[in-house]
Amino acid sequence: MNVLIVEDEKALTNELEIFLSNSNYICEVCFDGISASEKIATNLYDFILIDLGLPDYDGLDLLKEAKKYNPEAACIILTARAEVNDRIKGLDLGADDYLPKPFSLLELQSRMQAIIRRKFGLKHSVVMLGDFVIDLTNRTISHNNTPISSITKKEFDLVAYMLLHKNRTLTRSQLSEHIWGSIVNDDYDSNYIDAHIKNIRKKLNAYSSPDWLETVRGLGYRINIS
Amino acid sequence: MKLGTKLTLFNTISKVVIVVLFVLLLPTLIRDINRSYTDNWLRRQEDKVLKLVSGPGINNYIQNGEGYGSYNALLKEEYVSLDVDSLNESIDTIFNENRLVEGDTIQYRILSHNFKVGKQNYILEIGKSIDTINETTTPLQNIALEILLGMILLTILADQVYSTYVLRPLGLIIKTKLIGHKFPNHTPYKKVKTSTTDFEYLDISIHKMIQTIESTFQKEREFISNASHELMTPISILQSKIENMFEEEDIPDETKVRLIEMQKILNRLKSITKTLLLISQIENEQFLKEDNISLSELIHEVYEEISIRLQEKEIICEIDIPAEWELNHVNKFLLFNLFFNLINNAIKYNKEHGEIKITGHADNKFFIVAVADTGIGISAERIPHIFNRFKKFTQSLQQDSFGLGLPIVKSIADFHQIRIEVASEPEVGTTFKLIFPANLITITS
Repeated sequence: MNVLIVEDEKALTNELEIFLSNSNYICEVCFDGISASEKIATNLYDFILIDLGLPDYDGLDLLKEAKKYNPEAACIILTARAEVNDRIKGLDLGADDYLPKPFSLLELQSRMQAIIRRKFGLKHSVVMLGDFVIDLTNRTISHNNTPISSITKKEFDLVAYMLLHKNRTLTRSQLSEHIWGSIVNDDYDSNYIDAHIKNIRKKLNAYSSPDWLETVRGLGYRINIS
Repeated sequence: MKLGTKLTLFNTISKVVIVVLFVLLLPTLIRDINRSYTDNWLRRQEDKVLKLVSGPGINNYIQNGEGYGSYNALLKEEYVSLDVDSLNESIDTIFNENRLVEGDTIQYRILSHNFKVGKQNYILEIGKSIDTINETTTPLQNIALEILLGMILLTILADQVYSTYVLRPLGLIIKTKLIGHKFPNHTPYKKVKTSTTDFEYLDISIHKMIQTIESTFQKEREFISNASHELMTPISILQSKIENMFEEEDIPDETKVRLIEMQKILNRLKSITKTLLLISQIENEQFLKEDNISLSELIHEVYEEISIRLQEKEIICEIDIPAEWELNHVNKFLLFNLFFNLINNAIKYNKEHGEIKITGHADNKFFIVAVADTGIGISAERIPHIFNRFKKFTQSLQQDSFGLGLPIVKSIADFHQIRIEVASEPEVGTTFKLIFPANLITITS
C-alpha cells in the first residue's frame, strides 16, 4: 500500500515513515504543501496523511485536492490544532479519519486498518485464537460456538487491539490510550489495564486456557499468533 | 445610605435651617422696618405741623399759654401736641414713652422737637401708638411662615424627583456594567443613556476597565491554548520515537523498561496539556451544545467505563437517577467527562469497601444530581480552593494525579450553567451537588 505523508515536522515524519515501512507500507514524504500538492496531482496513493498545520499551505485545501486527484485514497488528518471546528470541517471535506496529535503510532495503524476493512468490505473478519474464535465484526469471543457473554465492551476492545497488533508487545500506556484516550482526566498512571487483563483471563479460563495472551514481564502484553 | 436619599436629606436640612433662621429673625426685622417707617412718618408730620405753624402763626394754636393737643378720637392711635417750652434747650429726638391719655396709659412712639417763635420756646410732640405700629407684625410673620413652609415642601419634592431622575443612570451603570457583567462577554458595548457627563465618564471608564480585564482574560486563554497546541507536536514526536524504539529488536529489555518509564512521564505531560487545552476550549466556548441524552444512560456509560476502578477498591456504587430525565442542548462529550472526573474522584478519595451514591431529585426549579462518597473528605478551609488548577492537597494520596480533575468539572459545569455545591466532612465523605437549571432537563414519559 502506498502512503503519502505530508508533515512539516521532519522528526515526526521520519518516525511515521519508519513505523509504516516496518508495517509493510510504501511511504513517500513531503515536508511542505506545495510539493505535496504536486505529488497528489501526479501519483496515486492508498493513504494520504495530511498535517493541517503546514506553514505554506492550508491543509484543508490539500484535502480538497486529494479528493479531486486521488479520489480512491483514504485521507487521514493529523493535527496539533485539535479545534472542534477543524475536525468537523475536515470530516465534511471527506477526510476518512482525524487523529489529533499526539497520537500513538499503533493508533494510527489501527485506524488505517479499519479504513482498509471498510473500503474492501471485509464483511466478516474472524480470527482463531487457540480454542477461541474472535469475531471482529460482531465483536464477540466464542468457544465451541458458544459466545462468551461475560466479556465486556472494554475487554473486547483490548483483545481486538492486541489482535490487530499481534505478535507485538503493547505497553500499558499504549493500551490505556486506546481504550481511555478520549477521556480527559486527572490520572496519568493507570494500571487498570492489569485488572482488565486479569478479568479477561479469568473469564476465558472458565472455557479454556488463553495461552496466546502473554504477559511480557515489566513491559506489557501481547497476543501471539504463529 | 443611598446617594439620592443623602442629597434629599441634605437639601431638606439646609432649607429648614435657612427658614428657621429667617423666621427667628423675622420679628426683629419687621420691628426695625416698622420703626424706621414710623420715624419717617413722624418726621413728615413734623414738617406739616411746622409749616402750619409758620403760616397762620403759632398764636392760632396757643392762646394764653395753653398748649394745643389733638387726639385721634376713639382709639387714641395718634396725637399731636404743641406747647410752650419752659426749658431753654434744643430737643429733636424720637423715643418710646408712656402717656396718660384720658385715663388710659398708652405706649407711644414719640417725636419731640422744640423750636423758637420770637423769643418764646415751643415744644412739638407727635406720637403714634406702639400697638398700631406692631399690629401687622404677627400676621406678616404667619403668612411668611406659611409661604416658606409650602415652598420648602415643594422644593423638597422637586429635589427628590430630580435627584431620582438624575441618578438613575448611575444605578443602571452599576446594574448592567458591574453586577450583570459576565466573563467572557461577547455582546457589544452599549452606552448607558445619560446627559450627565460625569456618568458618561464613569460608564466609559468602567467599559475601558472591563475591556482591559477581558483582553487579559483573552490573552491568558489564548496563551494556554497556544502553549498547549504548540506542545502537542513535540510530545507527538517523542511519543513516536519511543514507540519505534520499543519495537526495535536489538534493544535489551532493561532499556525497554526505561522506555516505558519515559512513556509514562510523557503520558503525564500529555494529560496535563490535553486537560489545559480542553479547559481553554471550553472557556473559549468552542463546543456545541446540541446533544439530547438520557442522564441515567450517560451516568451508566460512565459507570461502565469506570467500573474497573470501583472493582479495584471494592467500592459499591449505587445509581438512582430517574430514567425519564433527559438532558437537552448539552455537549455529551463534556458531560461524560464531567461525571467521569467526579466519580473518578469519588473513587480515588474513597476507602476500600467504601460507597458511592449517585442520586437525582427534582426541586421546584432545579434538578439536583448528587455524587456522595464515603471517602477521606475535604476540610472546610480547603473547599473554596478545590476548583483551582493544580491545587493539590493530599500529596501522598494523590500521587497519580495533578489536580486538574475538579477544574475540568467546574469549567464544564459553568459552560452548561450547572451550579456546583460541595459539602464535606473529613473522614466521613464528600457530596458534590450538581444543580441543573430547569431548561437543561425535561422529563420524558
